[in-house]
Amino acid sequence: MIIDVHAHWGPWFFTMDVAGASLATMDRYGIGKAIVSATEAVIYDAQAGNRALAKVLEGQDRLHGYVTVNPRRLREAAEDLRDLTGPWVGVKIHTDYTGSPVTSPRMRAALELAVEAGLPALVHTWGPSVLDLAQVCLDVPGLRVIAGHMGADGHRYAIEAARGCDRLYLEPCWSHAPAGRIAEVVAAVDDRQLLFGTDATLIDPSSAFGAVAAAGLTGLTAERVAWRNATELFSI
Amino acid sequence: MMTRMTIEEQPAIPFDAWSLIGGLEVTLDVDVLVGAFPDRDSPPGTPESVGGLLAGHRTRAGAVASLRAALFDVRQGNDEVLALAAESRWLPVGAVDLRDALGAGRELDRLAGAGMRAVRLFPDEQGVDASFPSVRHVARRAAELGLVVLTGGDVRRFWQPFAGIGARVVFLDTHFYHLGDFLVAALEEPGFHTSTRLLNSPDALETVAAELGVERLLHGTRAPHYEPIVPLLRLATSGLDPAQVEAVAGGNARRLLA
Ligand SMILES: [Zn+2]
Repeated sequence: MIIDVHAHWGPWFFTMDVAGASLATMDRYGIGKAIVSATEAVIYDAQAGNRALAKVLEGQDRLHGYVTVNPRRLREAAEDLRDLTGPWVGVKIHTDYTGSPVTSPRMRAALELAVEAGLPALVHTWGPSVLDLAQVCLDVPGLRVIAGHMGADGHRYAIEAARGCDRLYLEPCWSHAPAGRIAEVVAAVDDRQLLFGTDATLIDPSSAFGAVAAAGLTGLTAERVAWRNATELFSI
Repeated sequence: MMTRMTIEEQPAIPFDAWSLIGGLEVTLDVDVLVGAFPDRDSPPGTPESVGGLLAGHRTRAGAVASLRAALFDVRQGNDEVLALAAESRWLPVGAVDLRDALGAGRELDRLAGAGMRAVRLFPDEQGVDASFPSVRHVARRAAELGLVVLTGGDVRRFWQPFAGIGARVVFLDTHFYHLGDFLVAALEEPGFHTSTRLLNSPDALETVAAELGVERLLHGTRAPHYEPIVPLLRLATSGLDPAQVEAVAGGNARRLLA
């Protein structure tokens, strides 16, 4: 069984038509549960997207929700974090779409809201920005933060980041799969800080699933990456 | 919507890609390299190790080009891959250096004379833009010689030097973010093809097949520098029918290159 901690629901602006949440795709890859954010919330209007996703999450048990937070709209974020409970198990913050670098004061304020809500936060990281996230993680007591894409091409920064803060988790999804990327991270980072994510429905699960398969994980490490760590982190 | 499956009913081994790949075999991978990148921690890329990697991914043959040719010595590198042609698991692909436009043209003539069917361009590795005269020069000369071009680079730019000259091209770096640009360019260019390597959104392969025809899709992995299992898994689990999968897994590439 696998828990996908980085998934989406809703349409994308690219040449693609993947708006339906696909339980069939999850089933194929043995993904029992996915934690999803609304694309509308990530890309354009956090509050409207969160409210639309709320209807999807009702009455089913395979999908959990990220409350997407735009660090430029913290008052709305506080409302959403107050109103959206139950299947909502984390906070999602995209740096680029909100123009909010990891180092910005408003990002820090958004992450403090996540701590107040008692929720882990998924933040997108590219290149060395994952090191900035590790610093924020050290600076904000009680923050549990997931480095989405684990720095993408900056996976070596991600290793350093995870070693610098034990409340920072790494999630591997990316549309590129350079040889040995996952194996290198697994060899260098405490396996209790590793999660699995796909970026579905933007990216097909074959990308992250195949890259992790190539690393040949076994035993407890495979289980921790697949679901154990996610179960503990999100209390699901 | 599928019927609901409880966690306990899920497959026991996480990340078991091979059970999903099933019996799929690749008859020709269009994107294989020998040699190593000096600017990164790179697999050694010996023909032996790369051949082993392909075999381990149920891949019978690779269209192989040389990084020595791409980065340092065109002639020597190309002669090394030409020598590999003795083994059926290799389909040699020449390379030219776009930083040397005149030399590139001459090497195309030599490669065509040696019976090569395809030439590979490395614009990113060589720091070359699509608008450079050398690219136009090589594109035209290759088309005149009947050579298929396998090219890296951003398809939104690199389509242009190949447009309107009857070129047969495989774009090796088409990312699904840029699929729309590839599709509208390829609609007007019957010789435009794409590698599957970065078409890993949920519907990119299926969209190419529907909009252009499956014959434009060629399985490519960039072994050994990318994980070959990712495009293999994507193809195996695609919405294409078995005949289409077989075409993508090498039939199309054989028709184009062999
Ligand atoms: Zn995301």
